[in-house]
Amino acid sequence: MRRDIGCNRMDHAVSRRSFLGASAAGSAVVGGLLTAAQAEQVRSGQKRILQIFLQGGVSQFESWDPKPGTRLGGPFRSISTAVPGMEICELLPHTAQRMDKLSIVRSINLKTNSHRVGQLRMEKGRIAGEYPYVGSVGAKYFTPPDARLPGFIHISTRGITDNTNAFLPAQHAQLKLEGVKAPSNLVRSDKLSEEAAKRRDEFRRRLSERFSASRPGQKAYTEAFESSFTLADRLISQKSLFEAEPSAKDVERYGSHPFGLRCILARELLMNGGTCVKVTHHGYDTHAENFNFHLEQLGEFDHTFCMLLDDLADAGMLESTLVLVHSEFGRTPKINQRYGRDHWGASCSMAMGGCGIVPGAIVGATNKEGTAVSEREVASGHLFHTYFSALGLDTASDHDIPGKSIPIGDPAAAPIEELLA
Amino acid sequence: MTNPEESNGIGGRPEAPPLPEMPLDVTKSHVAAEFKHEVALTTCRIDPTGRYAFAGAEDFNVYRWEIDGAAESKTIFKGHNSWVRCVDFSPNGELLFTAGYDDHIGIWNTADAEPKPIAMIEAHKGWVRWVRVSPDGKLLASCGNDNLIKVWNLPDGTLLREFAGHERYPYAVVFHPDGKRLASFDLMGVLREWDLESGKQLRSLEAKFMWGFDQKFRADMGGARDMCFSDDGKTLAVAGLTEVTNAFAGVHKPMILLVDWDKAEPQHKFKVDSYKGMAWGVRFHPDGFVMGVGAPQSGNKGAVWFWKPGEEKAFHTVTLTHCGRGLDLTPDCRRFAVAQFDGSLRVYQMTDKAS
Repeated sequence: MRRDIGCNRMDHAVSRRSFLGASAAGSAVVGGLLTAAQAEQVRSGQKRILQIFLQGGVSQFESWDPKPGTRLGGPFRSISTAVPGMEICELLPHTAQRMDKLSIVRSINLKTNSHRVGQLRMEKGRIAGEYPYVGSVGAKYFTPPDARLPGFIHISTRGITDNTNAFLPAQHAQLKLEGVKAPSNLVRSDKLSEEAAKRRDEFRRRLSERFSASRPGQKAYTEAFESSFTLADRLISQKSLFEAEPSAKDVERYGSHPFGLRCILARELLMNGGTCVKVTHHGYDTHAENFNFHLEQLGEFDHTFCMLLDDLADAGMLESTLVLVHSEFGRTPKINQRYGRDHWGASCSMAMGGCGIVPGAIVGATNKEGTAVSEREVASGHLFHTYFSALGLDTASDHDIPGKSIPIGDPAAAPIEELLA
Repeated sequence: MTNPEESNGIGGRPEAPPLPEMPLDVTKSHVAAEFKHEVALTTCRIDPTGRYAFAGAEDFNVYRWEIDGAAESKTIFKGHNSWVRCVDFSPNGELLFTAGYDDHIGIWNTADAEPKPIAMIEAHKGWVRWVRVSPDGKLLASCGNDNLIKVWNLPDGTLLREFAGHERYPYAVVFHPDGKRLASFDLMGVLREWDLESGKQLRSLEAKFMWGFDQKFRADMGGARDMCFSDDGKTLAVAGLTEVTNAFAGVHKPMILLVDWDKAEPQHKFKVDSYKGMAWGVRFHPDGFVMGVGAPQSGNKGAVWFWKPGEEKAFHTVTLTHCGRGLDLTPDCRRFAVAQFDGSLRVYQMTDKAS
């Protein structure tokens, strides 16, 4: 049954909070160092999502929920942060100084120890079923009609090619970039003249129109087909973003490693019309040498992530950009014989900040040894509601899909209200 | 820091206890003593007097047992704020030095009834991974996550020298028996030799087969888990791993590398083809064989292997009840201690039980 019968249009789905937020962003003071495109980006009031996916399952003990000195706490200590009383693991010294821009959820119970299931639950905010990913939902509702880039861009060197858009139109699916390389076949082949390309495009459009006219109830097929060409046109117009070498200063600040280069590209995409940009940092599935590997991986993440956070803040974009840092689950309290920690979804953590999120908060808690959630248990559904509520979307309403009644957020969950600004 | 008391002499080796009558036979190795702790152990050492066994644990403390005493002899050394994975002693056994993942080196009286640190030296920015005392007891070497090798004066604990050059974490550092040189081994399988007097690097050797880059996870896996020189200084033994196929799952094989130190080249590579896991300890036995302790990638069965130089296969293996994480010999070299993942410290005697 529809929850808002007769009212599923986009302008209803976007709430009053979103409108006010957009207005506020539109009047933000734009720093003198911004490029014209970046300044326009701030003025536009466009909402964005920056999603950092720590693939493999970052240890909550070694990141957002340290338990130093406890039986299963591992060797690392906790450090104070910019927020009085908030402590995080010593492996995140740069992030610690910026925790006044972020909040932590320490009480996530995903009820799975499977990479795939955990990832799907964190992305879809649902226990099961075909639902769109965070990035695709963001692309659907926050990509401006005249956007210069596809709505959901995922920078990663590997991983499964998912059906990220589910039932949403195909143009909201992720465009996956293999590292910092431009998408393949971005440029027209030399063998095809400009004139021939134009004739080919016109022929294709006529075929699509004829196909749609003969099947009035199946417009989505041709829309999906046509959208891929629209996306390609947009990408071609922005190909300089992929071709430009990062400046030496950026490389020095972000790091020359793949994650550093990906975050530089993520910044450029967000500052040049990107709506949802996801960056995957691989290498947290530490069944062996958990502590040595977290030293390396989080050392790389910590500094680079903070450079990206600083640049978004300096550009005045943090108020309009939701920042998410999460994994598909956490890691076991038990330390195994290989000095590793295994898969653990029963009591894990994440960080979020930026648009619509109260900064400096800690939601929930785990028990003394981190083996179970002890306060304010939340599931991925609560997180999903929180993300889009923070962006101003009414997650209790249905998706803007004609003829279907599909709630945006899991009706069994609700936003974490204490995180909403 | 506070200085060690002047009375803590660090002179020459004490007299070894009298040897038992039974002939040494490693194939007859059996458990002579077992001490239990409730948390996984990280390392073990036997003090130069042969009276005590020490172990680090995954609970920030170091523990001491009297080898020939009861379980009640367990004494806690509390002072670090993180794990301790390496300890060493002054040559006369009076002082204990502990390398903490809390960036500190602890100095303790080995035999105190209620131990308290004499000094805690803030030694490295990042974990202190290893400590070793020089043969004359006047210097202490350490390495840490700041990629530095440091040498400290004893007993006052002042910094004498720093050696920079490792590009990734040095995992272990040891003094050459001549007392004039140091050897250190890092994550990437790079072995460096340092001259104490000039403060310069003398040589480097790449043992890349003890390192692996996991393409899938884009991670380096390697480093020494233990290291020691033969008494004559001609051979260096390094315990670690080889043939990394999945770093994050710990899929690799244990390896003990022997390096001909004069030629600076690998002399022998001991590995167990049928075994996946890590070598966590190595010792030279004066009877001419080499001992190594290992932990498997899966399952419980740790092992102590005995090899003869030049031979491919171990001539004997002692199967442990759990993963081995450290190995040391008693001064008379008739017993060895093993630290295990299940929290037990076992002392094996390498003779017939009747002895």
